[in-house]
Amino acid sequence: MEIKFNNVYFSYNKNTPIENEVLKNINLDIKEGKISSIIGRSGSGKSTLVEMINALNIPSKGEVKINDFIITNKSKRIKNINDLRVNIGLIFQFPEEQFFNMTVYDEISFGMKYFNYKTKDIEKRVKDSLKMVGLNQNYINRNPFTLSNGEKRKVAIASILAFNPEVIILDEPTIGLDSISKKNLIMLLRNLKTRYKKTIIIVSHDNDLIHKISDYIYVLDNGEIVVEGDKYTVFKDEEKLKKYGIRVPNEIEFANLVYKKTGKKIGYRDDINDIIKDVYRNAR
Amino acid sequence: MLDNVVFGSYYPIKSKVHYMNPISKILCTLLFALMIFICDDFVVMCLIFSLSILLCEMAHIPRRIYKKTFSSLKILFLFIIIIYSLSGLTLIDILIVFMRLSGVVLYSTVLTLSTPPNEITYGLQRVLSPFRLIGLPVNKMALSISLALRFIPTIIDQGNKILKSQASRGVDYYNSKLPGKFLAIKSMLLPMFILTIRRADTLAEAMQVRLYNINAKRTNYRLNKWRIFDTFLFLLHFIIFGLLIVKKVI
Repeated sequence: MEIKFNNVYFSYNKNTPIENEVLKNINLDIKEGKISSIIGRSGSGKSTLVEMINALNIPSKGEVKINDFIITNKSKRIKNINDLRVNIGLIFQFPEEQFFNMTVYDEISFGMKYFNYKTKDIEKRVKDSLKMVGLNQNYINRNPFTLSNGEKRKVAIASILAFNPEVIILDEPTIGLDSISKKNLIMLLRNLKTRYKKTIIIVSHDNDLIHKISDYIYVLDNGEIVVEGDKYTVFKDEEKLKKYGIRVPNEIEFANLVYKKTGKKIGYRDDINDIIKDVYRNAR
Repeated sequence: MLDNVVFGSYYPIKSKVHYMNPISKILCTLLFALMIFICDDFVVMCLIFSLSILLCEMAHIPRRIYKKTFSSLKILFLFIIIIYSLSGLTLIDILIVFMRLSGVVLYSTVLTLSTPPNEITYGLQRVLSPFRLIGLPVNKMALSISLALRFIPTIIDQGNKILKSQASRGVDYYNSKLPGKFLAIKSMLLPMFILTIRRADTLAEAMQVRLYNINAKRTNYRLNKWRIFDTFLFLLHFIIFGLLIVKKVI
């Protein structure tokens, strides 16, 4: 699936005294089948950008191209919008706040008939999506409001996975989760990419998560993309990222500190345990 | 849907109406509401309605903001007009009803767009202060009203987020036919209710933690002077209201 932004601008409260230009001259091309991350300080426009991919925001200038759909400031009503949205699953920050059904089954299957799924397909998809997020069939008739935060988050993710989108967008997926739930989420995302060949876009402040799973990173600051590249390219300049309010991941910070103190270069690793092994090996 | 609701939002620009004392604005709003409801003469109603138009023009708030308010109320207006026309009223009577509703909506919209919520609280407290003598909890009432006004834009924001979230799951209010729109609203009500209660709870605790005491004597951040324009507008409303009362009594 092609997702391209061409010279996109977006403002809230346009033509009012409180107009706020949140996105400026955004040009990006999301890599298919990869995990792309968008990072930046609060208010830099990350959530607004990903909402545009799902046609929830219309650009003030420029165009957003998603396969055959072209969204510009002239797009008041998009024809066959559900054909776009069935292929792009957007999981919002605190998705459990959108719950309003009395069972997990109803919550996951909500909206599926609007995507024209048949009833027996819906039942199979609900069960499969629960399995994908690590919840068993006992959860089907449970009240989602009685679940723990981690379980609620999984049900919310399952409600998007149920219609098998090609692209999955997650806005701050790890917020409010404990470390075990975070680990499970990372495993799920890796699985979705490698086994199910999904394109994944993550918006997050959790740079440790981003470092572990991202293939490509966009750094947003004040509505503009200031840095982009793979994780090693993006995170190597610690001072530059500090300017944009971004802390480098622990693993890279530690590797840079070892280099500063000892002059010995140790490789950037995904796991802090691997770095400690490197340090020990170098010390011998 | 919720982008059209502007009630409760302050529109920060410079105008004579924005600089008015909040006490005079509230008193004029009350007098206007009384005038417009007791009047049943078409010509006098047009004159009273033109007062609200005059205030809108003096506030220099863009007309599209008022259009937004009216577009969110158009179904209600249509319903009322249909009911009245079915009950056998003449066109003049229907126009009077329409001007009555529109006048009140327009005038109160100008009040909230031109006055920050904390100034509305201040104005309400001062206007209702004589009722303290009969045991009315004026401070608590003013605080409840101002918190409600202050939180309308926040709740609208929340509602928009939930609508977007449901849209991404296939139920889009803006791009659906009527059944889809009803489902979108239904899917929004329960989460909004829960979030509003939770927010109210958190706010109450935050106020307690910051030792907010409703009965404590307070000074005001903004010095609200009573200006010549306040006197002029208040007297204008008072005289028209007085003449209406006399006309009704005679």
